[in-house]
Amino acid sequence: MGYRYCGARPTLTTQSHPPQIVKEQILAETELSHKHLTPELKLHLITPTCRLWTSPPPHSPFLDPFWAFYWPGGQAVSRFILDNAHLVKGKRVLDFGCGCGASGLAAKTSTAKHVTFNDIDKVALEAVLLNGYQNNIVVDSLLSSNLIGSPSGQYDVVLVGDMLYDTEFAHQVLCWLQNLHESGSLVIIGDPGRFALESHPLKKLLMCLGKYELTEATILENRGYTQAFVWTFR
Amino acid sequence: MSLRVLVGCKRVIDYAVKIRVRPDKLGVVTDGVKHSMNPFDEIAIEEAVRLKEKKIAKEVIAVSCGPTQAQETIRTALAMGADRGIHVEIPAKEMEKLEPLHVSKILAKLAEQEQAELVIVGKQAIDDDSNATAQMTAALLDWPQATFASKLEKTDGELEVTREVDGGLETIKVKLPAVVSSDLRLNEPRYATLPNIMKAKKKKIAKMKPKDLGVDLASHLEVVEVVDPPTREAGIKVEDVDTLVTKLKDAGRI
Repeated sequence: MGYRYCGARPTLTTQSHPPQIVKEQILAETELSHKHLTPELKLHLITPTCRLWTSPPPHSPFLDPFWAFYWPGGQAVSRFILDNAHLVKGKRVLDFGCGCGASGLAAKTSTAKHVTFNDIDKVALEAVLLNGYQNNIVVDSLLSSNLIGSPSGQYDVVLVGDMLYDTEFAHQVLCWLQNLHESGSLVIIGDPGRFALESHPLKKLLMCLGKYELTEATILENRGYTQAFVWTFR
Repeated sequence: MSLRVLVGCKRVIDYAVKIRVRPDKLGVVTDGVKHSMNPFDEIAIEEAVRLKEKKIAKEVIAVSCGPTQAQETIRTALAMGADRGIHVEIPAKEMEKLEPLHVSKILAKLAEQEQAELVIVGKQAIDDDSNATAQMTAALLDWPQATFASKLEKTDGELEVTREVDGGLETIKVKLPAVVSSDLRLNEPRYATLPNIMKAKKKKIAKMKPKDLGVDLASHLEVVEVVDPPTREAGIKVEDVDTLVTKLKDAGRI
């Protein structure tokens, strides 16, 4: 009859552990997966074959491991960057809310000059390092601060994969992205059609750059989304 | 064509728990007892999510009336795929006196506020077995109702609903907006996986009180007594058919 919340229980969070232990935990709890839109990138992900897939969150050593899933919007941005390498070639790129780092790694593969991987979850940044290593890609720099609202003169391209999941947060992110766009960055957004983006007034200012059919495994886990779209500001 | 669907989900004592009557015989023991979402409401949520997957619904809103813990029930609904939640706060003490009519008034008001075109609820909650909320919600809204649904299909501006009725199945068509109550065979609810539980944490749950919706919780019903069902007496074994026949005759059964 479905998972039931069993209330708060002490959770072992990895945040306080040294990187080596975090890396070992990531390796132990994930599988190298290429069953997604960018099979050329092998990523450490929690998949249906991993024990955590069906475990209640208190059983997870990671607190909210958003990095452990390759969300549809992230897949679309990464695919788009791999297919349109000229957009990032020689450019300074920010992978905002990078999670597993797929989009940034795609940018590096597409010969970006420098990629900053940014995620407020430090475990995600360890996962980025592992994923970079796995794909023989050098990870230029990692940043764990919350960048929303910050000026961004230093990035030519900003990649945003599936960050517009709730109405309020999407509003903050979109307003900031619009500022980045106005100050000259190329903003590339991936999204499967989530309500927060579809219903936002700024959606009118976006132009669709690409549309991708999701893989069967991704569709199964994403409740009604069968496609993902890539957007930029007009 | 895209509907906004409002789904009611009630936090009840888990179906696997042995129910104990309280010493004052005015209710059952709820303290320290495992609770979960009413199974019929899980089916309602699942159906709404499937409508979303078929692009018939654009947004699924899960509503629960209850104490703070009702939020866990809403989170479960969000993990199953509902888009956002509404928690109508009812203190634990008042929960016992909450009647189907109150919940119906709350749901009807929310359906109007949210401009929902479809309300789905479980056909009954497994705690009080009232089987009244869907019907009264439809009446309050003056919307058509399709109760005990075992199949739902959308045609132009209408729903074709197969209903489980005495002696078989009945298929009806209702115009939208409408209220539907889910029966056991409508679907099999999905298991919420870690990525969906995580996504659910990011979804919003709005909080409000019945009075915010203009709903008065005055009681119309009074609980006189709650008792255990009579315990079944043990049977006996008989040696042969003749003894059986004699026993049955003695008992006046044949």
